[in-house]
Amino acid sequence: MRDVKIVAPIARHRGAARMVQLFSPVADTWLRLFLIGGLSLAGGGTVAVVGFARSAYMTDTDVRPRQPVPFSHRHHAGELGIDCRYCHSNVEVGPSAGLPPTETCMTCHSEIWTNAKMLEPVRQSLANNTPIQWTRVAKLPDYVFFRHDIHIAKGVGCETCHGRIDQMALTYRAKAFTMEFCIDCHRGPAPHLRPPDYITDMAWKPTSDARKEGEEIAAHEGIRFGELTHCYVCHR
Amino acid sequence: MRRRIDHQSMDRPRVWAGVEELSDDPGFQAFIEAEYPAVQEFSKTARREFLKLMGASFALAGLTGCEKSSFVAALPYVDQPASETIGLPRYYATAVSLDGYAQPVIATTHAGRPTKLDGNPGHPTTLGRSDIFIQSAVLQLYDPDRAAAPMRRGEPVSWADVESAIGLMRENWLADQGEGVRLLLGPTTSPTLLRQIAAFLKQFSKARVHLHSTAGLDARRQITAASYGQPLDQHYVLANCDVVVSLDDDFLGPGPDQVRNALGWSQSRRRYSDRPGNRLFMAESVPSATGALAVHRLIADARRMPALAEALAESVGVAGASRPELTDAEGRWIARAAAACKERPGRSLIVSGLSGGAAAGLWVARINQQIGNAGQTLKLTAPISGPANAGTLAELVSDIDSGRVNSLVIFDGNPAYGAPGDLGVGEAITRVRSSIHLGLQRDETGALCEWQLPLAHALESWSDARAVDGTATILQPVISPFYDVRTAHQIAAMLLGEVDPAADAAVRETWRASFGDAFDTRWKQALHDGFVEGAEPSITASPASNFIAPPGTTGDLDIVFRPDPTVWDGQFANIGWLQELPKTLTTVTWSNVVAVSPALAKRLAASNGDHVEVKIGERRVSGPVWIMPGQADNTVALFLGYGRTRAGRVGNDLGYNAYHVQATADPWLARGSLRKLDTSEDLAVTQLHHRLEGFDLAREVSPGQAERAPSDQASLYAPWPSSKNAWGMVIDLDSCIGCNACVAACTAENNVPVVGADQVRVGREMHWLRIARYYTGDIAEPRSFFEPVPCMHCEDAPCEMGCPVHATTHSPEGVNQMVYNRCIGTRTCSSYCPYKVRRFNFFDYRAPGDSSEHAAHNPDVTVRSRGVMEKCTYCTQRIEAAHVAADKENRPLRDGEVITACQQACPTKAIVFGDINDPNSEVSRLKRSSRHYVLLEELGTRPRTTYLARWRDDDDAESRQG
Repeated sequence: MRDVKIVAPIARHRGAARMVQLFSPVADTWLRLFLIGGLSLAGGGTVAVVGFARSAYMTDTDVRPRQPVPFSHRHHAGELGIDCRYCHSNVEVGPSAGLPPTETCMTCHSEIWTNAKMLEPVRQSLANNTPIQWTRVAKLPDYVFFRHDIHIAKGVGCETCHGRIDQMALTYRAKAFTMEFCIDCHRGPAPHLRPPDYITDMAWKPTSDARKEGEEIAAHEGIRFGELTHCYVCHR
Repeated sequence: MRRRIDHQSMDRPRVWAGVEELSDDPGFQAFIEAEYPAVQEFSKTARREFLKLMGASFALAGLTGCEKSSFVAALPYVDQPASETIGLPRYYATAVSLDGYAQPVIATTHAGRPTKLDGNPGHPTTLGRSDIFIQSAVLQLYDPDRAAAPMRRGEPVSWADVESAIGLMRENWLADQGEGVRLLLGPTTSPTLLRQIAAFLKQFSKARVHLHSTAGLDARRQITAASYGQPLDQHYVLANCDVVVSLDDDFLGPGPDQVRNALGWSQSRRRYSDRPGNRLFMAESVPSATGALAVHRLIADARRMPALAEALAESVGVAGASRPELTDAEGRWIARAAAACKERPGRSLIVSGLSGGAAAGLWVARINQQIGNAGQTLKLTAPISGPANAGTLAELVSDIDSGRVNSLVIFDGNPAYGAPGDLGVGEAITRVRSSIHLGLQRDETGALCEWQLPLAHALESWSDARAVDGTATILQPVISPFYDVRTAHQIAAMLLGEVDPAADAAVRETWRASFGDAFDTRWKQALHDGFVEGAEPSITASPASNFIAPPGTTGDLDIVFRPDPTVWDGQFANIGWLQELPKTLTTVTWSNVVAVSPALAKRLAASNGDHVEVKIGERRVSGPVWIMPGQADNTVALFLGYGRTRAGRVGNDLGYNAYHVQATADPWLARGSLRKLDTSEDLAVTQLHHRLEGFDLAREVSPGQAERAPSDQASLYAPWPSSKNAWGMVIDLDSCIGCNACVAACTAENNVPVVGADQVRVGREMHWLRIARYYTGDIAEPRSFFEPVPCMHCEDAPCEMGCPVHATTHSPEGVNQMVYNRCIGTRTCSSYCPYKVRRFNFFDYRAPGDSSEHAAHNPDVTVRSRGVMEKCTYCTQRIEAAHVAADKENRPLRDGEVITACQQACPTKAIVFGDINDPNSEVSRLKRSSRHYVLLEELGTRPRTTYLARWRDDDDAESRQG
């Protein structure tokens, strides 16, 4: 027992003397590379995730979903110049713009193109009293409570959110309906507003002094600046 | 260190919420200190497991946000109705019914689906107010357990089969003028159905009609018949009363008359701004909402009521009354009540309930006559509901027993369940050769009958009915039936020999006769208004001059029967909203109880939830005991409406069936005994959940007493910057009758889920608004307080400071906002909330998307998923809708343009909401009241929801009033 007491510290001392160096000369480099790599992975990952979330794939912009009737806004709204509100008659009075009932299609198509094959689903709908099953293009998440009527009333044009519908042969989502898209305008609506006469005008361009003009419209319409960004305006 | 709840300061009376609290049990302290009591029940290992699982969930939680929204179908109309605005609700005036009476409603429909019912503001009796039954009727419409198609002996059949079978029956009936044909009806006010029944009795002159009422309507008629010599309906004009004396009549409690009485009572109560407008004396055996509001509450056994009535009669000088022997307390109470009545001749009202029977009823009639109340505060009319000259259920059973009945048609009733057990109705029905049951469900009675014919819900029907004052409403369907059902009028028409009658034919025929030439315009006007002008004219009747001997007063315990406060006579047992409402005073959910006095519980050595056996005659039933502070020592209360076996998935096998021990001879007051059993159960009670730590929670103020000036507490936080509108709410505790209409309305408006008894037991009920019930004083004779507690919308909200992800924020208008799609479920906000108004979705309580209940949801409010916090939003969807309407017209919001669901429902207008920036708004006016106070003001949270203290109208106050 006595030996052990003496020997042990010596043995330990000898071991320490012979111990190899813990960090090699390149260890610092590895550490730097690791830190840089980690940071760029995290940064790149964030960029990738955000980019992915905003990609056309996730926001479904530029996707032309299959429709029962290949309805062309370019033809009806663009070439023929039918006002948006002829079909979307609910847009000024209700939360939803409203898809036209079959009867609206048939106001014209009982007179023209009465035998066109592509209009067969419309005629079937009327004959069987069953709705035409469109695929919704402009859609917001369930937790967003959007109202068309108030936007129209306050001078937000159709084109501001829906893009150049009058140039779309098949309808697609022109703008990504992200929260950023909505809240940019809710923070500073002035540059995005237009006079009431131009709400449905697809080709309307703001004048050079858009902000001043918008502010005049906003003042006239009594827009509640600063109150439009709180959560309950859109989420309930 | 945590403050404990027993820090009541010495000069204030001790406030307590439950019997357990008075026992100062350490286990109880631990229970109420837990944020959610269930979390305490995790063992240490379970807790570790739980944390591991939570860690995994956190790691995965981020990914759920990556869900890509898919393209969905959009279906336009083929031919859009001109009046339809897509996405906006439409409103229809119609009615639902309770005990046969119309409860006038405005139905809100979204895309053709009724989602919310509220009172009809134009209706003369209810002025737009409602109760829990109105609020919940919409869920009954979507009940997936409703009968969906006609059945014969349990096999589905078609309506053509039904019609041909009725045709054959009619041939037999015609042969002997309907000898042996019996119709059994509940109380019915429908002019059309009564007309059809009369036509049926004309066709089959030997047929008979029997009336079966579960909630005591026939007993009330018997009392008026005995006290006035003819069956009458009594109508209390509470708005004109200065003094009300009630002998065990819970006129502010649930029932068809609740809304009218509550409205009238609150109108007179609020008559003056500096003192209460009326005084309520209540002698009662079982604590009730009415008793909780009484200034002088006398606790007396049910059997004492005739004696008390006679004593009061003697004191006000009714001829023939002699003074019975009274206890000291009774004597004092009688003297005070008599003095108050004599002081206000013609402006007082004396009423009595079922337990006093005809003996008390007669004295009460004479007192009202004597002091000039008759015709002033008490109006009498001919019975509003029929059928007149009907036989009783007991007569029907005895006729069946003697073989005189071969065909029985039961109109929308459930006598096999809801009738005194000693009658043996169920067994009798099976002995009838042909039996037809009409009902919403294939219930206990429907299952015994040969034919079960499913009825359309009131919201799917053309019908008519009269309200408690006799004003008629024509019911119009607000949705087309989604099951293969018919209305009672259609089936009655079949019995009259019609083939495939139209849904509205019989109703139109009735009103064509009454509207005459102007039928089209008046019919349209009636449908639009929701009622046809014309209440039942009141008549004068003198009290009978005979003497009715009160029943004997010796023996066992008095056992009184009451309809359940939320599921009523059992017809609403399958409505989850009503099952989960905490019952007034007991706060029990999902079950009924045997209510006993603290003294009796001590004698039995029973505590809450212990099973006791009630024995009346030779019949027994056992249920969980509930110690009711302030109940009369020798009275036991049994509540009807539970113990159902065929109510459906929600209502089956809950509680005990009190009908089993009810006796035909005297169904509302019996003599019986109680025995404690060895078993017990854990009742789902909410009284100790969501406790506040503080004092002076429910305040009282005496007239003339200067309420301390609102202290403007110093704060380190800047005052909340106000935008144009600043929302606030005032709740008047003096008007609150604890009826739960606000809670039910909130549930319907805000898609609040039903969680079930097990979740309620662990403190996870989801109601955004609770009615806290406090007691002060001795357990034998406490005072009770109701205090509705929604979110306070604090300007310096602790919850907002706690949330790590800013899921709860403050709007410029002062609304504390909860953003579900941001919430990650840490529940920090809830633990920071001193008012305990936040609710957490521990599970996914949502109704499946393809279920019929899903259709009852309000589409303007998110249906919350698992793992998010939620709470009162001040009905933000209504605020934003009002903003849009005003902004479109470019005008400021008007006072009263935003009405919250709770405010809209409240039958006493105790809840007022509005803009506190507008000094002329109703809510600002109330906030300047001398009774105004802030809950837990010492915390400096600056709540927007504040209270008006209850009047303490004690004797000193009386002398001041002069």
